[in-house]
Amino acid sequence: MVDPVLLIAVPLGLAFAIPLFALFWKDAAKYIPPAALGFNLVVSLLLFPKILEKPVIVFIGGWQPPFCINLVAGPVGVLFSTIIALVGLLVSIYALDYIKEGATERYHILYLLLLTGATGVVLTGDIFNLFVFFEVLCISSYALVAHLRDKAGIESAVKYLIQGAVGSSLLLIGIGLLYGQFGTLNMADIAEKITSASPISLFVPMVLLITGLGVEAAIFPLNAWLPDAHSSAPSSISAILSGIAIEVGLYAVVRVIFTIFGASSILLFLALLAILTLLVGEMCAFSQNNIKRMLAYSSIGQIGLILFALAIGTSYGVTGGLFQLLSHTLAKVLLFLAAGYMIHRAGSMDISALEGIGAKMPFTSLAFAVGAFSLVGLPPFIGFPSKFLIVRAALATKETVLIVLIGLALVGTVIEGAYFFRVVQALYFKGEKQNPGRKEAPIVALLPMFILVLPIVVVGIYPKLVTGVLNSAATEFLNRLEYIRNVLG
Amino acid sequence: MMSFLADYIYYIGAFGLILIGLYIILVKHNLIKVIVGLGILDTGVNLFLISVGYITKGTAPIFSKPGIDSEHMIDPVPQALVLTAIVIGVAVLALALSLAIRLYQHYGTLNLRKIREQRW
Repeated sequence: MVDPVLLIAVPLGLAFAIPLFALFWKDAAKYIPPAALGFNLVVSLLLFPKILEKPVIVFIGGWQPPFCINLVAGPVGVLFSTIIALVGLLVSIYALDYIKEGATERYHILYLLLLTGATGVVLTGDIFNLFVFFEVLCISSYALVAHLRDKAGIESAVKYLIQGAVGSSLLLIGIGLLYGQFGTLNMADIAEKITSASPISLFVPMVLLITGLGVEAAIFPLNAWLPDAHSSAPSSISAILSGIAIEVGLYAVVRVIFTIFGASSILLFLALLAILTLLVGEMCAFSQNNIKRMLAYSSIGQIGLILFALAIGTSYGVTGGLFQLLSHTLAKVLLFLAAGYMIHRAGSMDISALEGIGAKMPFTSLAFAVGAFSLVGLPPFIGFPSKFLIVRAALATKETVLIVLIGLALVGTVIEGAYFFRVVQALYFKGEKQNPGRKEAPIVALLPMFILVLPIVVVGIYPKLVTGVLNSAATEFLNRLEYIRNVLG
Repeated sequence: MMSFLADYIYYIGAFGLILIGLYIILVKHNLIKVIVGLGILDTGVNLFLISVGYITKGTAPIFSKPGIDSEHMIDPVPQALVLTAIVIGVAVLALALSLAIRLYQHYGTLNLRKIREQRW
C-alpha cells in the first residue's frame, strides 16, 4: 500500500538534499524537482481508487486521533495533491530552460518547498499543522517573488510579506482561541465539539481564521498584494502562485467554513464578497496594458467565481466550484507559461510589444489562445463545462439573490472575454510580421504547454472524466459528519 | 478589580502587544519600523498562546515525583505550538530584513510611502 505521508516526506527531504547533490553534480538542482513531483503524481494517482471507497487516515507517531497529528487523504486531499503534483511537474520541466539567471539552486529548493507546503495544507487533518504548512508555502513564495532581485520583484515581495505575515498572525490567534475553547487541534475533533459551543464565542475565531487565510486566497479586500507579486515574479513562479498558491488558500478557507464550523449562515456573505472580488478583478484586468498584470487580475476574477460557486453550498455548486478551480489552474498555468516565453522573446511585458508574435511563435501563441478561450469559457475547452455547471447550480437554487449574483458573474465573464480576445487579436492580426529575433520557444518549454492543452481539450469535450471525482470531493466538503466519523473512528 | 487583573493579566498583555504591533504596521512609514511591528505582533500572539495553557504556580507535565497531581500541570501543547511559531516568526523576520537591505539598495530609501512603482 502507498502511504500518503510520502507525498510530503519525499519532496521535503529532496528539497533539503538539493545542496548535497549539487556538490557532486552541478545540474542536479534542476532535475530533482521534476523527479520529486513525478513521484508525487504517481503516488497520488495510485491512491485514487482506494480513497474513493474510503479515505485513508494516517496517524503520525502511532497515537490515535485526536492526540496525534493526522493526515486525511480523502477525495479532496488527493484531488488537490494530484493537481499540485501535475502542475508542479510541468512547471518544473518548463523551468529547466527558463530559469537561468540568479541563484538557480535556491530557486529549485524554494520551488520544491512551496509545493511541499501546498501538498501538506491539503492533506493535513490538524489545524496547527495546516498553519505550519501554510507558512512553508508562504515563506517560500515571498522569497521566490524576489528571485530576480529587480526593483519590482523586491518591492512586491516586501508588500506580499507584510500582508502575508499579518494574515498568518491572525490565523494563529484564531487557532489559539479555538484551542482555548476546545482543548484540541484536530479538525475533526473541533468540528465534533463545535456544535455544543455558543455561536457568539465561535464568531471571533471564525472571522480571524477566514481573514488570515483569505489573505493568501486573495479574497477582496485582502488581495492588494496579488497583482504586484504575480506580475513581478518569474513567469514559472507566477504560474504556480496563480495556479496553486491561491487555490490552496481557498481550499483552507472552504475547509474551515464547511468542515470545522459547518457555518452555512455565512455563505451568502461570502457569495457577495466573491462577486465583488470577481468584478473588481475583471474590471482592473480590462484596463491593463501589461500582460502579466492582466493575467494576475484575471486570477482575482476567477478566484471570485470559484468562491461564489463554493458559497452556493449545494452539491452542484461545490462540484462546479471545484471544476472551475481545476479549469482555472490548468488554463492560467498554461497562459503564464506561454506568456513567459513571449515576454522573453519580445523583451517587454506590454501587450503592444507582442503584436504579430503569432506568426513567429506559432505553438506558444496557439497555447496562449487555447488557455485564453478556456478561461473565458468557450467550448470545446474545459472552461465551458465548469462555468456551465456553476450557472446551472446557481439557477437550481431558485434563490433570487444567487440568480442576480450569477447574472453579475456573467457580466464579469463578458469583460473577461473582451480583454482576452483583445490580446489574442494582437497576437495574430496586428503588427508588421518581421521581427527576426523572435524564434519559437525551446522544446522543453513547449512540451509542458502541450501536455496542459491536452486535458483542457479532452476534459472540455468529455467532462464525465472528472465529474465523478469532483462529486465525491464535493461530498467530502458538505458531509462533515462523515468526515468526523472517518477520522475519529 | 485587582483579582480581575491578576486573572487576566497575560491576556491583557498579549492583546496589548498584538494591538501595538498592528498599529505600528498600519501607521509607520519606515520599513524597519514595520518589521519591528511584525516582531511585536508575533510576540503578542506567542504570549497569548502560552497564556491559554498556563496555570499560576503550575508544574511541568512530567510524572516524575509521586506527589504531583495532574490538576496543577501546565498544558504542554501550547508551548510546543509557540516553539514552532517562534521559529516561523524568526524566518519571516530574517527574510523581511534581507528584503529591506535589497529594497534600500534599489531605492535608496526605506520609506514605504515613497516606494510606489507598482500600483493598481
